Amino acid sequence: MSKKNHDQQSTTQIFISNFLHNPSGVIGLIIISTLMISAIFAVQISGVEPDYIDPINSRLGPSWDHLMGTDQLGRDMLSRILSGARQSIYIGVLASFLANLIGTVLGAIAGYLGGKIDTVVMRVSELVMTFPQLILVLIFVSLLGQGINNVIIVFALTGWMTTFRLVRGEFFSLREEAFVEADRAFGFSKPRIIFKHLLPNTMSPIVVAFTVNIAIFIIAEAGLSFLGLGVPVTTPTWGNLLTAAQNPVVVNEYWWLWVFPALSIATFVLGVNFVGDGLRDVLDPRHKSLITKNKWKKFLVGRFGSKK
Amino acid sequence: MAFTISALIFFASRLSPIDPINAMVPPDMAADSANLVQLREELGLNDHIILQYFHWLKDIMTGEFGYSLQSGQKISEILALRMPATLELVLSALILSTILALTLGLFAGAKRGGIADKLSRVFAVIGIAVPDFFIGLALLNVFAYRVEWLPTGNRIAPGQVTFWDRFPHLILPVATLTIAMLAVLIRYTRNSVLDTLNRDFVMTARSKGVPEWRVLYSHVFRNSLGPVMVILAFRLPLLVGGSILVETVFQWPGIGTTIIAAVSASDYPVIMVISMLIAMVILVASFLVDIVKSLLDPRVRLGGGK
Repeated sequence: MSKKNHDQQSTTQIFISNFLHNPSGVIGLIIISTLMISAIFAVQISGVEPDYIDPINSRLGPSWDHLMGTDQLGRDMLSRILSGARQSIYIGVLASFLANLIGTVLGAIAGYLGGKIDTVVMRVSELVMTFPQLILVLIFVSLLGQGINNVIIVFALTGWMTTFRLVRGEFFSLREEAFVEADRAFGFSKPRIIFKHLLPNTMSPIVVAFTVNIAIFIIAEAGLSFLGLGVPVTTPTWGNLLTAAQNPVVVNEYWWLWVFPALSIATFVLGVNFVGDGLRDVLDPRHKSLITKNKWKKFLVGRFGSKK
Repeated sequence: MAFTISALIFFASRLSPIDPINAMVPPDMAADSANLVQLREELGLNDHIILQYFHWLKDIMTGEFGYSLQSGQKISEILALRMPATLELVLSALILSTILALTLGLFAGAKRGGIADKLSRVFAVIGIAVPDFFIGLALLNVFAYRVEWLPTGNRIAPGQVTFWDRFPHLILPVATLTIAMLAVLIRYTRNSVLDTLNRDFVMTARSKGVPEWRVLYSHVFRNSLGPVMVILAFRLPLLVGGSILVETVFQWPGIGTTIIAAVSASDYPVIMVISMLIAMVILVASFLVDIVKSLLDPRVRLGGGK
């Protein structure tokens, strides 16, 4: 794209065109949207309701009738994995949104005000970060009880630190900028400066943290439900489908019961991470120089992404 | 700090809706309410909550961890039984993953696009996208069921005593944990090495004619250890907490599986003690980070700099 073009396009257009020139972002987006669309049409694609029990055809290996086999009760795995995708993605996205909200608000306040508030929140975040995440989640779950919404709340409460640190760091450097000083000279209130003037400038790391957190939470949900302590078993999530693998017989003989759910988790999480990488490249001004059309060529020739 | 954490843990546990009496006394015996009242009094549950907190704190300090609600066992006994298993598992995985990650990371950073770099990318992708228990399940399926080289789980089979009897049991869990820990560590080492390679003193060393392996080993490697050490120190709490998922997959009788059992049974004294221990290790770890940093960086050691 030429310089002249740049001037005529709006920021959104520039953003979109930059993103499209970023192979990892586009591939990630394709992966994610394919999975999401198939999750929406779960029943139509597999042809069976996820809860349809068919005891005669239980524990069938993958075949043309059941692409991913059937489980102990004869339920179609493909159908269950796709409807599990709905729940898992819902948990991941909502929890990540809430965690980011907490992290952003705390980070903005701590970063702008500094001083005692900053020290306290920083200490808390360090503590929560070092505490093994799963154990912390388990402790919270034992206090709140199981359930899809509780899982989301617990994830939000235990996962806000990355965003908090990013936002805090950005605010630390931004608050010395001239336009903030101008704001203060105008006598704008602190909330107005923080949320209206500074926050929009920190959007890009927040967006990247949002995608990374989705991936982390989806994996965490899988682990938690695998242990039987996450979402109640009646709701099919990717993690709950993996619970079957607690049984050694399943691990040994019915591999499709745990390989396919795990593969769908891995695929989706990879997709989310790719999008995150792509967004980082496009949004981070320090990486701007790397954005060229040649990236696709480079990618196809075999050099992957732009990592340093 | 330790004080704050202990208070947090204590009051959080009291927020839970579970009445310890209900958990301790089977429902058919609960009819005798006079005894219940007496039990409540004996356990100090009628005292003011602040008073209860100080009682608990004193007990913890003196090593009196109390009893498990679930089994009635002394918590200190449970810990003594389970702790060695977790230490054995996590310590081996920590050491192994550190050695592997440092070597791979160093070579990956030193020669970008080389074999080590490609290998480390594979590990990074696995580490990001694959849940760690899935690695365990896959290893289990292949090495324990398909080819039957290694046992499927547990720490020890009946009748086996020596370390060499136990050793095969250790391989798969340690391998799983190592792979799970590798990804982040390799990435940090690699980036840190890359950063160091761009520093001026590396160029100085090279222009002095120092052989490349020495540049890498005594100039680059030592200077890129800092951030890696921080990650490692943050993993020390695992020594006490264990890796819940890996322990579950391999039915490893460690702290991780104890936590699971405690959480499922709302056995809150056990949860409280273990979280307290983890918090203590965290405090020690962050202290260690400062020490190690100062050992690695002469500027901090001499108290100079800013």
